[in-house]
Amino acid sequence: MKNNPYQPLNAEIVDIIDESALIKTFVVTPDETFRFRTGQFVELTLPGEGEAPFTPSSSPADTEKMEFTIMKAGSVTSLLHNCDKGQKVGIRGPFGNGYPLDDFAGKDVYIVGGGVGLAPIRSLFLSLLDRIKDFNSVVCRFGAKTPKDFIYKDSLFGPWQKLDGVDMKLTADEADSNWEYNVGLVTNILSEDDVDIKNAVVVVCGPPIMMKFVTFQLVEFGFPDSAIYLSMEKNMSCGIGKCGHCMIGKYYVCKDGPVFTYDQIKAYPNIWD
Amino acid sequence: METVFISKLKPFLEEISKKSDLYIPVKKAEHWTFNRYNPDEIDEVEFNSIRTCLPVKEFSFPPRELAAAFPEPLEAKQIKPFAVFGLKECDLHSIEILDKVFYEGEFQDPFYIARREKMFIISGDCTQAGQSCFCNLFGGKGFADLGFDLNVSKIKDGFIITEGSQKGKRFIGDNPDLFADAPDTLLAQRDENRARVKKELEEKNADLKFTSKISEIIQGSQDSDVFDIEAQNCIECQACTRVCPTCHCFYLYDTKKPDYFAKMKMWDSCMRMAYAGVAGGANPRKVLGDRIKHRLLHKFVYFLERYGIDMCVGCGRCVDADAGGIDIREVLKKLDEEKKQKKTNQAEIAK
Ligand code: SF4
Ligand code: FES
Repeated sequence: MKNNPYQPLNAEIVDIIDESALIKTFVVTPDETFRFRTGQFVELTLPGEGEAPFTPSSSPADTEKMEFTIMKAGSVTSLLHNCDKGQKVGIRGPFGNGYPLDDFAGKDVYIVGGGVGLAPIRSLFLSLLDRIKDFNSVVCRFGAKTPKDFIYKDSLFGPWQKLDGVDMKLTADEADSNWEYNVGLVTNILSEDDVDIKNAVVVVCGPPIMMKFVTFQLVEFGFPDSAIYLSMEKNMSCGIGKCGHCMIGKYYVCKDGPVFTYDQIKAYPNIWD
Repeated sequence: METVFISKLKPFLEEISKKSDLYIPVKKAEHWTFNRYNPDEIDEVEFNSIRTCLPVKEFSFPPRELAAAFPEPLEAKQIKPFAVFGLKECDLHSIEILDKVFYEGEFQDPFYIARREKMFIISGDCTQAGQSCFCNLFGGKGFADLGFDLNVSKIKDGFIITEGSQKGKRFIGDNPDLFADAPDTLLAQRDENRARVKKELEEKNADLKFTSKISEIIQGSQDSDVFDIEAQNCIECQACTRVCPTCHCFYLYDTKKPDYFAKMKMWDSCMRMAYAGVAGGANPRKVLGDRIKHRLLHKFVYFLERYGIDMCVGCGRCVDADAGGIDIREVLKKLDEEKKQKKTNQAEIAK
């Protein structure tokens, strides 16, 4: 049936990379070329078992394969973690708005990420790198519980530290003896002087509690609510603005999001829960 | 719009049933439900006085259906034309609302649309105001002006049929023997009935007069205790959302069939605890009162902002179905009362 938004495209898991104890990256090749904008999400189906929404962590420039970095959290993600290479899956989408990269041009792009929230950020980061000259600066502040919990360790502790036009700081809530970066919550490594607040956008992605306190701190620094871009995680089912699951106020996160500016949603109840 | 007269329903409906499946209202205890029409089983079709107790959404949005299959995708399903007799004005209004959800926007729901387009709608004027009806709050009056293929109005010795679409017009044109002219005297009878029912509705709901718009009442009452108080009576049966003709929450789930994997689309309810929960454990509406509030915000604030109409038609089905005794009319009244109170208090403080 043509134009059935519930029908996934057949795809296959071709590689699985261990990121941390609870997090793996799945490399997936769809049967057909698949295009998305960075920050959009797809529904990944494990046939016969269930589906769940994920934002690809790979660059949209690669239309042949996509990567999903997935934390073991619920039933579908646990089953995915037990899968091997060669597993057939389905993907529906892409859904939602994604990051408005063109609006970021000429500005400082301030990226604050935590834990598995670095997954969508990686895709964004790779997209920014492709046209790094368009942005005034790219400033990253990433955190994780312990050094072991960082995902993309090879990139983060290696080449990403030395990129032209990128200012990168890392912090772990608890360090170990080999840790050479900061210690403490990600909010501790944010500073009013990181970017030009009057000409910056901030992208925040991480666990809800981290997003909440980071946002409060950014507001205190004087960032306008409309410059703070939040990737909202909500219960999703249809992905097409019909089933009602993902509502924040009048918005459907699947359709009007998953990226919102803080001023769009701050008046609604319980946005951080 | 052309109008014609028939003295009995059965020959008319029988003709309809020759061309397509037909569903008709039947009375069960004090309620009306839809049954598949079988001319051999009944002598005459009853004319339902008010709406059925189950919602009409079932015809285009069934409680559960196959939405996708692996690894071979679904073939487009051939839906046979079907007709439904006995829909009321509020039902047509609810179809208008669901059409917005499933037709509009970047993505359409092919299953809803396939059924909707094969549905021949024969509506009927209400002959009384039901116990829990309050459609007049949403512009209802007991008879429909549009949204039907044919409309039936009961009068003393028969029925007036009005065409509402090209399909309806064609049916009348194709069956001249079934219909007689409808002289003005009969139309006057119809209009009298309509005026009587409209008045009955207004009188019945005379005390349901609010000082502000419903959207403003709900919008302004987000910190009210009323939702948590109502929650004490709610037993989370979810009946309100199932019988509601405009509630359209659903979820997709995956399952294994003998020779393929299936993705099913099934009704869901925002009153369910886990409805908005995510795998990580977060849930913006863990508290039942918050879910009741969200349902009303969705119906009267969010939907209105997005689509320009309320997501309630005042059919009262949720009032009839509610095992816990939550009455949406009473909730609105209480919230309006609170709002009035707040205003007076503020005025006094200002003095
Ligand atoms: S909320 Fe109640 S009165 Fe309104 S349309 Fe739904 S069932 Fe009918
Ligand atoms: S996931 Fe269904 S409306 Fe957003």
